[in-house]
Amino acid sequence: MMVALLPLVHFGFAALSLAWGRVTRELILLSLVFDAVLVGLLSAGLSQGKPLVIVLGGWEKGIGIELAADRFSLNLTVLVLLLGGAVVAYLWHERLRPYFFMLLHLLLGSVYTLVFARDLFNIYVTLELLTLVSFLLVGYERKPYQIWASLKYLLLASLGLGIYLLGVAIIYYHTGTLNLGLVAARLVDQPNAPWVLLASSLLVTGVAVKSGIFIFSLWLPAAHSSASPAISALLSGLVIKMGVVVLFRLTSAFSLSLPLLVLGALTGLLGVIYAIFTYDLKRMLAFHTLSQIGYITLGIGIGSEIGIAGSLEYIIGHGLFKGLLFLAAGVAVRTAGEGDIPGLIARRAKIPLSARVALLVGTLGIMGVPPLAGFCGKSLLSAGVQSPVIQTVLILISLGTVASFAKLIPLFRIERGPSSTWPVKLAFVILGLPILLFLPLARLLVPTAQLSLSLHVLPFVKSLLVVGGGFLLYRLLSRRPFHLPQRIFRLEEAILVILSGFFLIYLLSVLG
Amino acid sequence: MALINGVTIAIVLFGIGLLGLILRRDLVIKLLSLGLVNGSTILCLVSLNARVDGVAPIVHSPASVPYVDPLPHALVLSAIVINFAILALALVFVMLLVERYHTTDSQRIEHEIEGERTP
Repeated sequence: MMVALLPLVHFGFAALSLAWGRVTRELILLSLVFDAVLVGLLSAGLSQGKPLVIVLGGWEKGIGIELAADRFSLNLTVLVLLLGGAVVAYLWHERLRPYFFMLLHLLLGSVYTLVFARDLFNIYVTLELLTLVSFLLVGYERKPYQIWASLKYLLLASLGLGIYLLGVAIIYYHTGTLNLGLVAARLVDQPNAPWVLLASSLLVTGVAVKSGIFIFSLWLPAAHSSASPAISALLSGLVIKMGVVVLFRLTSAFSLSLPLLVLGALTGLLGVIYAIFTYDLKRMLAFHTLSQIGYITLGIGIGSEIGIAGSLEYIIGHGLFKGLLFLAAGVAVRTAGEGDIPGLIARRAKIPLSARVALLVGTLGIMGVPPLAGFCGKSLLSAGVQSPVIQTVLILISLGTVASFAKLIPLFRIERGPSSTWPVKLAFVILGLPILLFLPLARLLVPTAQLSLSLHVLPFVKSLLVVGGGFLLYRLLSRRPFHLPQRIFRLEEAILVILSGFFLIYLLSVLG
Repeated sequence: MALINGVTIAIVLFGIGLLGLILRRDLVIKLLSLGLVNGSTILCLVSLNARVDGVAPIVHSPASVPYVDPLPHALVLSAIVINFAILALALVFVMLLVERYHTTDSQRIEHEIEGERTP
């Protein structure tokens, strides 16, 4: 019941906000209140520990579209609520057309659908809807660079979803069903048939284009850095995560451990390398989205219970601090009139104190300083890893993260600046408070037995060492300007890279 | 199975579309190629699940004859609508770019935009 209502509420409100253009802000607030009630009911329904399953239209499983809620999806709905609330608060005083709010509702509705989706074709349709909505949102202000970024995004995402649909066609031909649970059941006796490998690598390639894996999502830095701040926060915090959630759902039917581990390591390391040598604030944040997706993918690739719990925590944590960073960066760039980090530092007196504090909280969170949000996810992830190679990769990504955010440190001098309006401050509080209080709140997310793994002394010491090492790395690298190839972010090259990425995934799934 | 069937044609079309996307610099032709790619996936979906000797899946037709599977058709319908929406919206954005830069050449547009962003 709640599972079907959550998306439906938003699709209804999307129509309403076009009809009643005067009260769009109040409508979206009302819809979030509805959501909060529904999420509360959902968590009450899930308290027995059994997933809630609904098959739409009263059909039997396998014919109708199945939506299912488990703890994983419950936690994601909480993230959607927090980010949605923060973005609405942030936009409270902006003058926006009703059309914008319609898109926002559609975005939230399709995100809720994806959180619960268990049907391959339903996932395809919702991903396409999400693509269209974020395409329109990125280009909302009609600036040429936004239009070009979103056009590139649409072309690549549409190509990716075409590849995904090929995978769906093969799966349906061989198993006669689109329901992920039934597909998994029918693949049990032949998990490594050639067609299964081909179909799964097609599906993974398609989803990877949407989910911010480095070699597939080369549209991401341009799209996320050119959109307006509230949109960037939603795209980086939520929309990208939905691709990862779909990857996680796919692991229930296919064995994707090796491809996901390699992709996770690649995207984590490459994203961090690009982030270190990028000096535009929003572009650096966008590269960081790529690198942090690497963590999450690694956790899913590990596949153990602790690894997945770590991934989930990191999805939530990253959604919170990346949302906060993008919102605060929006305020900072607008008030300082400069997007470059050196320029921002030179004009830091113009930036409101609240934005600088928010940037500080987000930076500490993403660096993994204990006991904030990033620390919990990272320590759980490394507790779930046995192999020393993956352990090293995780530490390298953390080091790079600290090194690239160390550039921002001069911004955080405490001086009085102009003050920002109360809704913007409220938005910062909505996202910042859960980051600061993540450790007590995380008890609600993951079972306490797993959480206690991150409460030992060792992770504390380790993450402090990593932070220190990251600063050293920054000192070493900061004097050396280094030009990384930017050509791969062009349209034609990105398509070629996606194709070669498909062959990489196929090779890996044959090996794995 | 004949060598020339729906699936092989779909694969060839997919390849042509990809080549168009990569090699042609004209944005409109790129969009047409994208349409070709998406159309070929639809062809693949239909022809993989086609049943040549089946009858239309209507409840009252004689039960002895095998039905055609109706589900792929429903899927294909929504996929076609989605692809239409994508192409239409993409064309609008191409139009906006052409109004400003007076060219449909993707590399020239990309070059000019990169020049504008880093003065």
